[in-house]
Amino acid sequence: MLATGITKGRRVAYGIFGIFVFMCIWYLATKYTSLGSVMPDPVTVFSGFFAAFVTPIGTKTMALHILISLRRMLIPYAIGALSGVLIGVLMGWYRFADAIFMPYIQMLRPIPPIAWIPLSIIWFGFDEGSKYFLIFLACFFTIALTTYNGVHSVDETLIRAAKMLGAKDYQLFTTIVLPTTVPYIFSGLQVALGSAWATIVAAEMIRSSEGVGWLIVRGQDVGNMTQIMIGIVAIAITGLLITTIMRGVEAKLCAWAERGK
Amino acid sequence: MSSREALIEFRHVDKSFNKPEHGEYQVVGDLNITVRENEFLVLFGPGQCGKSTILNMVAGFEMPTAGEVLCQGKPVLAPGPERGMVFQNTALFPWLTVMGNVEYGPKVQGVKKEERRKRAQRYIDLVGLQGFENSYPVKLSGGMQQRVGIARAYCNEPLVMLLDEPFGHLDAQTRYMMQDELTRIWQAEKRTVIFVTNNIEEAVYLADRILVLRNCPTGVKAEYDIDLPRPRNYTDPEFLRLRREIDRVVDHTL
Amino acid sequence: MQKKQKIRLDRYLFISVLSVCVGIFIWWLVTDGLGIFRSNVLPSPIKVFKTFLRKWVETKPDGATLFQHVFASLQVALGGYLIGAAIGIPLGIFMAWNDKIDMFVRPVFDLVRTIPGVAWTSVMVTLVGIGYMSKALVIFIAAMVAMVINSYSGIKQTKTVHLWVGQTFGASNWDLLTKVAIPSALPMIFTGLDVALGSAWTTLVAAELLASTKGLGFMIQQARGIFRLDIVIVGMVVIAITGAILSSILRFFQRKFVKGGRM
Repeated sequence: MLATGITKGRRVAYGIFGIFVFMCIWYLATKYTSLGSVMPDPVTVFSGFFAAFVTPIGTKTMALHILISLRRMLIPYAIGALSGVLIGVLMGWYRFADAIFMPYIQMLRPIPPIAWIPLSIIWFGFDEGSKYFLIFLACFFTIALTTYNGVHSVDETLIRAAKMLGAKDYQLFTTIVLPTTVPYIFSGLQVALGSAWATIVAAEMIRSSEGVGWLIVRGQDVGNMTQIMIGIVAIAITGLLITTIMRGVEAKLCAWAERGK
Repeated sequence: MSSREALIEFRHVDKSFNKPEHGEYQVVGDLNITVRENEFLVLFGPGQCGKSTILNMVAGFEMPTAGEVLCQGKPVLAPGPERGMVFQNTALFPWLTVMGNVEYGPKVQGVKKEERRKRAQRYIDLVGLQGFENSYPVKLSGGMQQRVGIARAYCNEPLVMLLDEPFGHLDAQTRYMMQDELTRIWQAEKRTVIFVTNNIEEAVYLADRILVLRNCPTGVKAEYDIDLPRPRNYTDPEFLRLRREIDRVVDHTL
Repeated sequence: MQKKQKIRLDRYLFISVLSVCVGIFIWWLVTDGLGIFRSNVLPSPIKVFKTFLRKWVETKPDGATLFQHVFASLQVALGGYLIGAAIGIPLGIFMAWNDKIDMFVRPVFDLVRTIPGVAWTSVMVTLVGIGYMSKALVIFIAAMVAMVINSYSGIKQTKTVHLWVGQTFGASNWDLLTKVAIPSALPMIFTGLDVALGSAWTTLVAAELLASTKGLGFMIQQARGIFRLDIVIVGMVVIAITGAILSSILRFFQRKFVKGGRM
């Protein structure tokens, strides 16, 4: 049957127990089966992960690798989000802008951001420029489209109510259209964040000399499975952290919508 | 006709819609209504047809196909703050608190914060929602939401209040209570009210004057002045007699 | 907001077409027209189009025709995707239906799902080497995660009242699952299939860029190495079109299987 009325405490206890059992299986599998010859056990991986905060892997410690990847991601993410919201609002509000930009968005959006990697390397070189470009692409289209849908989802009776109360055209926009759009923008930001994180990992794996993606691919090059797993742990924990923070911000700003029950 | 001034007038109003499946579809035909200042006018009619359209034309959401709607002698061309509407589905702004909703009208018209807060608070108190100023609409019950809708419309201090089946979605108990509340509010803050309903009891309970509308294309079929003292009693013999009488003239076909 | 849509539709369609034409003309102008960009930075639209036509039969410079690349990519993507769906859907349903298992497995799953599919490439290449298997495994993981999430939330959204109706007719727990919960979760399961398809296809391109000897991702990576940008752009377009076609095939099945919509 479906979940009804189970206390939060029990949920957490079960969850921790679940993770513990998972670790045990992982541990036993590496100790007593042939998996152990290629795969390090969880103790090695996690102690390696925490040790990397003190002793550097490559030239940098773990904290720096994570921060470098985050910075690479967040700067173009912010730019992509901002321009995505702007274009999305523009297209949603003016049919004219819609007619001009929509065909391009529809044509370019099906190309996975990762497929832009070769082109971006030629256009922007191997440095940060090409990574910024990729992350920008990964965010821009998603956010522009969700914003656009948000503007189009405005309830006609709310517009009537606002007009009846004396709102002028620009006030309809700022007091009705924008607030309606905010939850849509946030769902776009959320999706884009996941895709930006995946893209930066892929981009770092293809060419870089630091960052979490580099950790993995460097491990692959030298056949060091422990380092690969440490990199994956770093990616998982950082990914979890940023999406949780985003969800927290969303819950604060969209409290009125009571979403995500 | 009483000596009071005419506030809203319908002069030979026709209204048709172009629906793809029906073609030209006439909803209102040759409608003539005069609404006097400070009266509580109920538009009563069965079915779905025309009542809301009449209200929407006063509000300025829809324009007549022929004829004209006048407010204080001037034709209605667009929605405006002098005509306040209470919507059937409340149409509250879900991202604003009760206070935010009620003060919205004065706010968009540039009334200073201190003054509009004071004014909004007065109407929140009037509808009996003190203590809920900072709640979001989703947290309120249906009846409370509609009180916010009434306070919001009142707070703009309109000349005429338009209520479009405001209690249609409420359960019977809440509905009786809200009818009493509305009577109380109206007696405390006299306004011209045009109230649309499809419930005879509600019509007789609230109205100074009832216009019974016919089916599409709608027009006035009969007119009743109700001068029972308020608060009224649903089981009063005179009340029941009026109820029966009105029921007899209504089109029950759909 | 909603202006007179019907009358103006043609006008806006015209603007759209004009907009695309102007865009392509500018592209032509800065390449062939005025020669601002050379073809190793931005090839002209004409060159890209010619390459697109020729690449169907030509194996240069990467040893395979466009068709062979598409076929190779599809083989890997669909293999991993189908196994991912076959395991992910039942797993998601099972997790959602059984409370204890849900509480037990969900945290582990929440951790795993934050890892982008690409990141598994290194693990798989180290484990089984470069080849069909490693890529298929990566795609399998990427597709499975999306499948589990969506079929899980599909089952969780089953209306309690529908379950009650089932119970009043004396349905067993198994009946409730197969006759009430799964049918009501079907639209979400199809959403999952769609999301998983997108993520499988994206991950495939990434895996091919990283470790491969054929496929569309390999093709554009090779072309990049020798500055054949026309092939890179052709590859990107084909990746986009193939993805879109796969997705519309899925929608076709969705329309066939999901009836009645959600209430």
